[in-house]
Amino acid sequence: MRAGLIASTVGHLAILVWGVISFPDARPFEVAPVDSLPVELVPISELTKLRVGEKTAELREEEAPKPTEKKAEKPPVPDAKTGDAKAEQPTPATKQATAQPAEAKPAPTPPPAPAPEPPAPEKTAEPAPAPPAPQPEKAPAPVPEKAEEPKKVAEAPPVNVKPRSKPAPPPKVQQTARAREPEKKQDDFNPNQIAALLNKVDPSGGGTQSSSEPASLGSERGQSNVQMSQSELDALRSQIARCWNPPIGAAGADDLNVRLKVSLTPGGDVDLSPQVLNSSGNPSFNVAAESARRAVLRCAPYSLPTAKYEAWREVIINFDPRELLGG
Amino acid sequence: MISEALAQTTVAAAESDFSFLSLFFQAHIVVKLVMIGLLAASVWCWAIIFDKWFLYTRTKRQMNRFETVFWSGQSLEELYRTLSNRANHSMAALFVAAMREWKRSHEGAKPALHSLQQRIDRVMDVTISREQERLERRLLVLATVGAAAPFIGLFGTVWGIMTAFQAIAASKNTNLAVVAPGIAEALFATALGLLAAIPAVIAYNKLSADANKLGGRMEGFADEFSAILSRQIDERL
Repeated sequence: MRAGLIASTVGHLAILVWGVISFPDARPFEVAPVDSLPVELVPISELTKLRVGEKTAELREEEAPKPTEKKAEKPPVPDAKTGDAKAEQPTPATKQATAQPAEAKPAPTPPPAPAPEPPAPEKTAEPAPAPPAPQPEKAPAPVPEKAEEPKKVAEAPPVNVKPRSKPAPPPKVQQTARAREPEKKQDDFNPNQIAALLNKVDPSGGGTQSSSEPASLGSERGQSNVQMSQSELDALRSQIARCWNPPIGAAGADDLNVRLKVSLTPGGDVDLSPQVLNSSGNPSFNVAAESARRAVLRCAPYSLPTAKYEAWREVIINFDPRELLGG
Repeated sequence: MISEALAQTTVAAAESDFSFLSLFFQAHIVVKLVMIGLLAASVWCWAIIFDKWFLYTRTKRQMNRFETVFWSGQSLEELYRTLSNRANHSMAALFVAAMREWKRSHEGAKPALHSLQQRIDRVMDVTISREQERLERRLLVLATVGAAAPFIGLFGTVWGIMTAFQAIAASKNTNLAVVAPGIAEALFATALGLLAAIPAVIAYNKLSADANKLGGRMEGFADEFSAILSRQIDERL
């Protein structure tokens, strides 16, 4: 037993010494310094921007728009939509504007003109009550005559009847027919219409401005603000490709390119049966077209950005088995 | 921010030493006791293993030598005379005990042969059990250490981790540099426990099987020798 104990103790001590020597210390993990990667996000949606235009238009290269150097000669027409019409259309005037074509423009000028006139009698009338006495006498005579005219036009006269007892009315009555409008405004003063009263610009129906540029190649619908980004197109492509079983056994993969026109609902479902746009002499083309159509129908509904529905309402998808078959 | 934390961590790691001795000296007193106990158990286990290994190989060699001598056709009386003078083990002790009983039965004027067979069997049984006990002594220590050492080590680990969490609570910091030393110490206890238990379990299985084999061999010899003596007794009756 003693021999065993001695051997055991010696063995343990040896192992302990070896452990102390060979595992002297825990070395810290060496962490290599990592450089930060400069990551840049490139908005590729610019590349796949849909242009407004016609599908039948010729392909042409356009110059980049130059920055304007001169100040625009014409003042910008408010409410004008650009580009839709072939010819320039004048701004359609409203009924009010057309009804008083002549009077509308002079109208601004008269108010200042009569304005100086009334103050004169008023100032003379107030400081010296006696001299003006004859004037009121003369005044009553025109009052009924001219009061009848206003009655036809407006309701202002009845209002004027009440304050007759005051000496003030006569100068108002002296005002000519030109002054009818300001008078009317004073009487029909509505605080809610201040904004309308202050707006001196005649309302217009808006017009369109013709574009000197020829129609460019683009979407039929001309959705200039709707763009499908490349990643969204890729997403749609991958969704369809997942379900596509291409005709592996078919010969002549060159001719088996199938173009499908697919209408989609806003929910991403296929609206109508997908329409095959092209044809081929290859006997296997029908099979390929069927497989493409099946793929489209099987993977519906697709998850696409609803906000851009106009862009993917109708999509044309190219099913090209060449890449898969290596042909 | 991150680099600062990293720098702190590396500094802390550089400060704390993770060698075996420092792991031991940094540990809590309970964990230290557990480690010492486990180390002692391991030493004791290996002492038993070495001892039994030597004993069994020696016993096996002695048995082989005795059997060749016994079956060589040598006179039993002569063999008894050479063996009875020295201390004997296992098969030789068995033979000597049986022969002594035989001799004693023949010492008187009238040999007591009637129940000599039973007496010889009884004597040999006693000798076998004594020898068996000698072979298997301390083997139970191995079994006990093999079963209990992992739990003892686990106790040390749990205690060390408790200490580590108390350190976290005290420093109000969950930085790995705070947690790691305590956990490393604690795991060291489990490592020691397994270090003691694994050889103990393996050695116990191996040594107890060897002891059974040796015991079986002695029983076989006892039966054979009993048959020979029984034939002699029947001839003399």
